[in-house]
Amino acid sequence: MAGSYDLDVSKLHKSFGPNKVLKGIDLTISEGEFVGLIGPNGAGKSTFIKILAGVYEASSGEIRLGGQAIRSLDGHPEAGFIHQDLGLVDALTITENLCLGTAPKRRFGPILDKRAERRAAEQALSRIGLELPVDTLLSSLTPAEKTLVAVARVMDRGARLLVVDEATSNLSPVDARRVVEFLAATVKNGSTVIMVTHKLSEVLEATSRVVAIVEGQILSDAPTKGLDRAALVQMLVQQETSGHGNLPKFGDGARETLIELRDVHLGNLGPVNLRLDAGEVIGISGLMGSGIHDIAFVVNGTLKPDRGDVVLSRSGLSRAMVPPHRESQGGFGELPIGANMSITALQRWRRFARLIDPRREKQDSEQIMTELSVKPGFIGTPFEVLSGGNKQKVIFGRAMLSRPDVYILCEPTRGVDVGTRSEIYRLIRELASQGAAVLVASSDAEDLFAVCDRLALVSDRQLQPLRQVSELTPSELEMMV
Amino acid sequence: MANTTDQAAPETPRVADSKEAVQFRLARRELAETSITVVAFLAIYVGFGIWTHGIFFSVAARLLDIHSSVPVLLLGLATLVTLMVGQFDLSVAGIATASTYAVIGLTVKQHWPFYTVIIVALGLGVAVGLVNGVLVQRFKVNAFIATFATGATIAGLSDVYSGDTFLGAGTTGPQLPKWFVAFGSEVHKAPNWLIWIGVVAVFATLFVGLDRVRPPGWAQTRWLTTKAVVMIVAAAVLVFALRIWEWVNGVSWLILFLIVVGLLLGILIRHTTYGRHVQAIGSNPTAALLAGVKVRRQVMKTYVLGGVIAATAGIILAATQGSATPELASPLLLPAFSAAFLSTVVLSDGRFTVAGTILGGIFVTWVGVGLVTGGVNPNWVNVINGVVLIAAVAISTAIRARR
Repeated sequence: MAGSYDLDVSKLHKSFGPNKVLKGIDLTISEGEFVGLIGPNGAGKSTFIKILAGVYEASSGEIRLGGQAIRSLDGHPEAGFIHQDLGLVDALTITENLCLGTAPKRRFGPILDKRAERRAAEQALSRIGLELPVDTLLSSLTPAEKTLVAVARVMDRGARLLVVDEATSNLSPVDARRVVEFLAATVKNGSTVIMVTHKLSEVLEATSRVVAIVEGQILSDAPTKGLDRAALVQMLVQQETSGHGNLPKFGDGARETLIELRDVHLGNLGPVNLRLDAGEVIGISGLMGSGIHDIAFVVNGTLKPDRGDVVLSRSGLSRAMVPPHRESQGGFGELPIGANMSITALQRWRRFARLIDPRREKQDSEQIMTELSVKPGFIGTPFEVLSGGNKQKVIFGRAMLSRPDVYILCEPTRGVDVGTRSEIYRLIRELASQGAAVLVASSDAEDLFAVCDRLALVSDRQLQPLRQVSELTPSELEMMV
Repeated sequence: MANTTDQAAPETPRVADSKEAVQFRLARRELAETSITVVAFLAIYVGFGIWTHGIFFSVAARLLDIHSSVPVLLLGLATLVTLMVGQFDLSVAGIATASTYAVIGLTVKQHWPFYTVIIVALGLGVAVGLVNGVLVQRFKVNAFIATFATGATIAGLSDVYSGDTFLGAGTTGPQLPKWFVAFGSEVHKAPNWLIWIGVVAVFATLFVGLDRVRPPGWAQTRWLTTKAVVMIVAAAVLVFALRIWEWVNGVSWLILFLIVVGLLLGILIRHTTYGRHVQAIGSNPTAALLAGVKVRRQVMKTYVLGGVIAATAGIILAATQGSATPELASPLLLPAFSAAFLSTVVLSDGRFTVAGTILGGIFVTWVGVGLVTGGVNPNWVNVINGVVLIAAVAISTAIRARR
C-alpha cells in the first residue's frame, strides 16, 4: 500500500553488556491508532524509544515502516519525536524556531525572506489548529503551548506518526490535558500517536490501546476500552513485590533522631518536613522532576534550602550519598575501583606525615568489594569499564567505607539487574539494622516497598506525610503516583 | 547433560574476567605503554646519535640539556598541578619572572638578607596563587583570562620595580651567596653515592614491581628466571650501551633538585588525601563534590601550589642566570605547557603525571637540540616543537576516545 506508515517491530532485542534490557519486543501499530506505552522505571520503555529514534542500535530484530525494513525512524520525516526536552530555543520566536534546521528561504544571497518564513509558520500552526501569533517569543508561551509548537514543527515536516516520550510529565495537569486532547484530535485526523507516559489517567482518557512493557517484554497489549485504573495498575505491578525474603527489620523502641528538615523550601518545592531516625529506612518518591533528589541533596548538605532549617542532632554528623546519576555524579571514570571507593574515607588511613597507608586502604576496600561481590574483583580496574550494576556497587561501597551515620541513596537500583537488586535491598536493611539512618529517594516503586519502613510522596510540590509501608499496597502507591 | 552446561554458562563468570586475568591484562597494558616511552627515548637518542655521527651521544652535553631546562621543567610541574584539577594557570611565567626579579633585586638593590629574599620570592607565588584561586573559584572568572591577567600584572609590577631593565650584581656591592650561584652552575655535581643509591632503589622497585605482569599460570622458577634475565639485560644495556656511570657522575645539584621536587610532588599526588582529591576533581568535579571533597578549597590550594612551584622556577632562574631581565620567563610558558601535556602520552593512559611531565620536557628539548646538532636551521625548532605538542595532545585525546 503506497504511503502507508504502519510501524512493525519484531523480535527486538537489546543488551548493554551482560544486561538484557529488551527481550524480544513484537509490536504492530497501524495507522490511526493512539497507543499508550506504560511500564515501570527500568522496564525498557526508554530504550525501546531510543532505538526507534536511532539513538541506540538494536542488538537484533527488525523495524519496518510501511512494509520497508529500516534501521530506525531517524531520517524518515513521516515519523516525528516529541521528547521531554522539546528542542526549542526560548530566546527565539515561533517562526524562527520552526525555521531552525530547515532549508533557508532566501530573498537573495544570504538575506532571508522573513515574509515567506512567517507565512510558512502560520501555515504550520493552522494545519494543526493552533492559533498563536507567530512572532511570539517561545519564552512567553505556556509549557503546553511550547509542546504544541514542537508538535507543529514535526508535523510541518511531514510527520504522521508521532512518538511522544514523557512530554507531559513536567506539565501541570491542565497543560498536560490540553496536550493530550490535542494529540487525540490529530489521531482523529488520521495521524498515529505512540505516547510514553507515567500518568495512567492520560492513558485512560485518550488512548485507543495500551501496551505495557515490563522487564523488557510486552506484558500486555489490549484495547483501552473496558480498562480501568485498577486494571492498568495490575499490568504494572503484577511482577513486583513477589517476596524479597524476610528482610531484617530494626526493632522498635526509642530511636534517636539524626537529621530533621523543618519547613524547608527550595525553589518552588516546599514545605518539606522530614525526620530521619537511626535504624529506620525512609523512602521518598514522586514523578520525574518532582524534586525528590533535591530533597536528598538538601539532606546531604550539598544544597542549601532557600528557607527553613536542616537540623543535625550533633555537629560532625557524617553523611554519605549515592547520587542519582552514577556516571555523571558518581564515578571517576579513568581512576581505578580502589580510588573510587576510598575517596570519602581517606582520613581513616592517614598515618605518619599525613600520608595514606596504602596497605590498609587496599585491605579495607577489598573487604567491601568482596562483600558487594564487585566484578571483576581486581581493585585496579578502571571504573569506566565496569557494567552499570558494578558501578552502582562501587559507589555504594564508597558510602559504606566512610561508615556514615546517615545514608542518602538516590535511585539505588537504577539500571541494575534483578540479582543485584535484591543484594542491594539486603544491604540497605543491614545498614539500618546496624543503626544508620537511611533515606531512599527513588522513583521506582519496587525499591520503596522492598526496603522502606515508612514512605512519602512528593506531589503538588510538597512532601506528603509519611505512611507505614505495611499499610500500603503496591496498587495504592501506583495510584498515588 | 550438554543442555545443563549451556544454561549454567552465563551464570559463572568467564575465565577471562577472573580477578587475576583482569589484573594481568591491565598490568600488561601499563607495561606496554611504559615500554613505548622507553623505546621512543632510546630511538631518539640512538637515531640522533647516528645522524650526527656520534656527537649526540655525548652524555655530558645531554645532561647539560637537562640541567639548563630545569627551570622549564619546574614551570611544567607548576602548570601540571592546575591542569590536574581541570583548570588553567597561565600566570606561572609571570610569577617566575617576578620571583627572579625579587631574588636579584632585593639582594643587590635592597641589601636584604638572602633567606628573607627567598621567603619573599616564594611568598609572591603564594600570593598570586591565592588571587588566582579566589578569582576562579570565588568570583567564577574564566581561569584562562583570570590567570592570564594576574600573570601580566605581576610581570608588569616587576617591570615597574626594575624600571623595565636588566638587574644584576655589580662588581662591587652585595652579591648573591656563593653557594647559591654554585647551586645553579652545571659544574657542581651532586655526590655520586647519593645518585647510585637512587639507581639501586629504582632497580629494586622494578624487580618487585615486575611481579604484577607475571602471567597467570607461570611456575615460580620459570617466572624468577625470566625476571632475572630481563633485569640482567636491562643492566647490561645501561652499563655497556648507555655508559650509566657517566650519567650518574654528571648529575648536577640542579638536576638532583628537580628529581627531589618531582618525587615530593609525586608522593603528594599519590599518597595524600589532597592528592587523591586532586585526581578525583580532575576526573569528575561533580562526583567529587558529592563524595564529600571540598572542591573549592582543594582547587584553591592547587593554584597556590602552582604559584609556589612557579616561584621556585624563578629562584632557579636567578641562580642559573645570576641576573634578571624583563619577560625572562615568558618564552618558557609554551614549552612548560608542552611538557605537561606530553605527560598525558608519556608513561600514561591519558592522565597528567609528574614523571611524564619531566620526561616529556626532556624529550622536547632533546628533539630540538638533536635537530640543531644535525644541522637543521635553529629557526625550525619552534615549528617542530609546536607540531610535537599538537601530535601528542591529539594522540592522547584519541587514546581516551578509544577506551
